[in-house]
Amino acid sequence: MQRLGDFRLPPFFNYPPYFTLQPVRETREKQVQLWKDLILDYCRSQKLYIISLEEDFPLFSNPKIERSLSHEAKEVFLAALVYEGRAEWMDKGHKKCLILWLRIQDWANYILNFVKDNGLEDSVMTVEEIRSGIETRGTELAGIDRGVLMRALKLLEQKGKAAIFKGTSADDEGVKFSA
Amino acid sequence: MRRRPGIAGLQNAAATRDQFRLVGENVAKVRTDVMKEQLATFRTQLEEFARKHKVITIELKWHSIFQLLSNFVYMNDIRKNPLFRQQFHEMCAKVGVDPLASNKGAWAELLGIGDFYYELGVQIVDICIATRATNGGLIDLLDLRKLLCQKRKADLGSLTSDDCLRAISKLKVLGSGFEVISVGKKKLVRSVPTELNKDHNGILELAQAEGFVTVEQVERKFSWSTGRAIDVLETLLKEGLAMIDDGHRDGKRRYWFPCVTLSSDSTGADAKS
Repeated sequence: MQRLGDFRLPPFFNYPPYFTLQPVRETREKQVQLWKDLILDYCRSQKLYIISLEEDFPLFSNPKIERSLSHEAKEVFLAALVYEGRAEWMDKGHKKCLILWLRIQDWANYILNFVKDNGLEDSVMTVEEIRSGIETRGTELAGIDRGVLMRALKLLEQKGKAAIFKGTSADDEGVKFSA
Repeated sequence: MRRRPGIAGLQNAAATRDQFRLVGENVAKVRTDVMKEQLATFRTQLEEFARKHKVITIELKWHSIFQLLSNFVYMNDIRKNPLFRQQFHEMCAKVGVDPLASNKGAWAELLGIGDFYYELGVQIVDICIATRATNGGLIDLLDLRKLLCQKRKADLGSLTSDDCLRAISKLKVLGSGFEVISVGKKKLVRSVPTELNKDHNGILELAQAEGFVTVEQVERKFSWSTGRAIDVLETLLKEGLAMIDDGHRDGKRRYWFPCVTLSSDSTGADAKS
């Protein structure tokens, strides 16, 4: 089994034709499905949030079989994720893509469970604390993309589960959770 | 028995029940033991028979022995022991009986052998359909066996190619186009109604060397015109049996065939080196 860091790559990653967009519809669907799953799994395991199509991304080429994805193929696979709500284009030119291996809704639930499990109801945390504090270490929240986190928190705010307030500078926003 | 009132009466009744249960268990145990013994004898005879290929008095013996076979011990045996299954089939062929002709037949019903193959058949259909998107409905028999064993949580030795072939031959009656074709050294199981002609077979055979073919290779090997080669390859592509690969340095399009290559995770790399 080939690895990328500590990530186990699926068998299809070593099969050359999967790096060429398939012209036949059914074969293409299968191909896209495999790549979608791979991208999500990989980003989740490596805690990656943004894929830039302009830069090298380890998943999009396989030196072992000397194959890499064309720009078109990358865009097709990411567009399929966008279509499912598992990713978002960050610019009109489709150069950067935000990968949501948890949807915003799922992130909100995850935060809520985290708050409950740790008895943090009615207490205050700063946004930075959630991203890099001791409490969240070892959870999915550690190192979370700031934009993703803010959107999840805003969703919680809408539901009346949290209140976001600004500090003196833009960097120290805080949030108060309520049960 | 008149029911007597009082605690003593209840205790008495309980004691009686216990006694009955004990006796019952004993009887059952003795019966199972006897049956196991008889079955062991039967099996030895069966195996001996298969070895010597003698057909003479066997049919009479079969009859009396068959009474015993509804026992689960035997059923488990026939399900677990591939050698035994094969010998059984050999013997049936000699006596001129098809044990799989119908599940209603005395043979199939008593032995559970019908159920074994029908279950296998269902699992084969399952796997063929599940992998169709990857291999276009053509799967290497060995791959199929591996997947079957995974599904059944058994090791590869417990299920022979012979078992698979028998189960597949029974699937033909469904008219769904299940068929085994030989391509070169490999046996492939076809689960789509595509007719593969000689041209297609030739290409599949050629592809076994490296897992892929190029138009040039096909032309050279069969002395075909470019048009014919491309035409056949495009057909295979449309059927989902082939995948294109434009990523090689030499810039020549390769047609890969998952049904002959995708058996292990290192196939791609192997084909390259």
